[in-house]
Amino acid sequence: MAADVHNKAVPWETANGSLAPVERLRQDRCDSPTPGLVEGTEPGAGQDSHMFVHAQSFEDLTADGDDTRAEAAGSENTSRLGEPADEGAQGLPSEEEQVEEKESHPGSRAKEEDVTSEAWRRHRKHVFVLSEAGKPIYSRYGTEEALSSTMGVMMALVSFVEAEKNIIRSIHADGYKVVFLRKSPLVLVGVAQTLQSERDLSRELHYIYYQIISLLTLTQLNHIFQHKQNYDLRRLLAGSEHLTDNLLKLLDRDPGLLLSAVTCLPLSSSVRDVISSSLQAAKAKNLVFSILLAGSHLVTLVRKKDQYLHHMDLHLLFNLVGSSSSFREGEGWTPICLPKFNTAGFFHAHISYLEPGTDLCLILVSTDREDFFNLSDCKHRFLERLRRRTAYQALQEALKNPSYSVSQVGIPELRHFLYKSKSSGLYTSPEFPVPYQSEEEQERIMELYQYLHSRIHHPTRPLRFIYCCGESENLLAWVTSGFELYLCFSPLGTKALAVSAINKLLKWIRKEEDRLFILSPQTY
Amino acid sequence: MSGPRVDAKVVMLGKESVGKTSLVERYVHQRFLVGPYQNTIGAAFVAKSVQVRDKVVTLGIWDTAGSERYEAMSRIYYRGAKAAIVCYDLTDSSSFLRAKFWVKELQNCEEHCKIYLCGTKTDLIEADRSARQVDYHDVQDFADEIKAQYFETSSKTGRSVEDLFRKVAADYISTTFEVMSEERGVNLEQKKDPFFYSCCHN
Repeated sequence: MAADVHNKAVPWETANGSLAPVERLRQDRCDSPTPGLVEGTEPGAGQDSHMFVHAQSFEDLTADGDDTRAEAAGSENTSRLGEPADEGAQGLPSEEEQVEEKESHPGSRAKEEDVTSEAWRRHRKHVFVLSEAGKPIYSRYGTEEALSSTMGVMMALVSFVEAEKNIIRSIHADGYKVVFLRKSPLVLVGVAQTLQSERDLSRELHYIYYQIISLLTLTQLNHIFQHKQNYDLRRLLAGSEHLTDNLLKLLDRDPGLLLSAVTCLPLSSSVRDVISSSLQAAKAKNLVFSILLAGSHLVTLVRKKDQYLHHMDLHLLFNLVGSSSSFREGEGWTPICLPKFNTAGFFHAHISYLEPGTDLCLILVSTDREDFFNLSDCKHRFLERLRRRTAYQALQEALKNPSYSVSQVGIPELRHFLYKSKSSGLYTSPEFPVPYQSEEEQERIMELYQYLHSRIHHPTRPLRFIYCCGESENLLAWVTSGFELYLCFSPLGTKALAVSAINKLLKWIRKEEDRLFILSPQTY
Repeated sequence: MSGPRVDAKVVMLGKESVGKTSLVERYVHQRFLVGPYQNTIGAAFVAKSVQVRDKVVTLGIWDTAGSERYEAMSRIYYRGAKAAIVCYDLTDSSSFLRAKFWVKELQNCEEHCKIYLCGTKTDLIEADRSARQVDYHDVQDFADEIKAQYFETSSKTGRSVEDLFRKVAADYISTTFEVMSEERGVNLEQKKDPFFYSCCHN
């Protein structure tokens, strides 16, 4: 163990009274250069209202389980990366194991794979979806037909344990974790050899489940299976496999899904305000959410008063837009269920790119399925209004650099970081620097972040602070009631250096917060 | 400004992956995108103006998703449509069965909608005659029976694509003028107009 263990809690931790009146702290924030550690005053916290359903990362997702929460057990931990720290966490896999099968055609499914081959077994993370009758619905690798007996065995395991009035959660064996998620009428199974915890894998399975719900609604799904227990759901999901494939890819690569947060396009607040107010002006009776995206970055979001969007639903919308080129051709109009909002019904989304060839995509969500032309009109009004303003040029300019370099922070040892403001549900992160430019390296660093996240959010032994030394980088994670921070340092840095970097980074984020975050979310 | 004014609603129907989107793409943007198949989500709307002789018509084309998942929604796309282009893949006989389903659906729910049958991917048949799974004469008979127009197109080469939409536009113009001349007899506005005239001008 790299063993300097702190017995004392970090001084500011103890002072972290969440009983302090938040309002007063909010007023103080402008005066104080030190970022607030309490929820609502951290850098990036929204000024008046939240934009999203308030969610403490994934706790609310798994809340239907019977997890015992040991919130009070804030502790500090310093360990070596790769050292078995917990019952489940095995060491960092060696390089050979990490080589993932590269698909020959990115975008096309690796479907025709031989499911008895060693290559198939070696995939880092498998995901299977089946019906309660044991019928295959989805497999990440290999065809569902070829896997029907495997899925039969999975269902047998589930039923066997249920017969004893019990629930199977996971199986840990041979470096694999097999995680089960029972969401009647579906069963989801994840098989992973990653560093993630059972809980994180379960969170990912929840995403897949909600992805399916977003296409069908739970009501329809229940109705189908009540009607016909051995229905082949693939018929209805036909053509949506690439959405699920892409979502799994995002889960491996996108920090937003890990942090349960969304990242914004860096933009000066005055420009963002003009865009927001233009969007606000282009309203319609049944319009609930107007969302402007630039690739995977949020530009702005305007919502109906008292209606909140859950970050998970927003990620599903991101995934829908990101994995389909079909919205480039014209104005898209599609029913979509936002499962965290309501699993029973469809919203109707008008999805279109602002102009041909741009990355700016506008999503208008309405409750009325006849609303297409109204929303199309909203889009045109918004665009007309925006074009007349200089903010539009500034936005185009900002699109050229949707991210920023970590060197701007001015901490030489710092390579990369993730910072999430809990109260706003937004996060910021620089682009990956040189050592992490390949996809494999990005997935590797993301897996390390996932590992830290698992440790921090451990269901029975959560941590507040963790510092890990690895061969290629040192990592630090720190969670307060206001934010989550994950830092990646060069392997030559020391722990003392890392700790001192925190303050510098937080000050920098505070300074830049009106560019990196949406501080004043708008409503119609 | 609001979106383009649309004269005629045209809906594309047919089984998934028969090439509805490619057909629209070829017609509207004169291009054919090669790459992995991407299914349409929900429906995509695009408007295009066509000049037929001295008239300009704006076609509002609804390119619907072929997936069964959206079947319950399809009604909102074809309601009030002036023309439906029912597509099937010439190399896939099951897609023709699906086309028949759509024809029946239209006949039941939207009797004023003109039907255009469109066999897609003729380039595949030109490359290999044995690839054809839907007989030309069978479709011709079916088209006569339902009083539909029949086209065989290739979005890859562009064959007959322009003709198809031109025919749609031309038929729309000729029928609208018939309808308008009929309607002149029963104009509900006339009831109001004399009243206005009497109070403003007299």
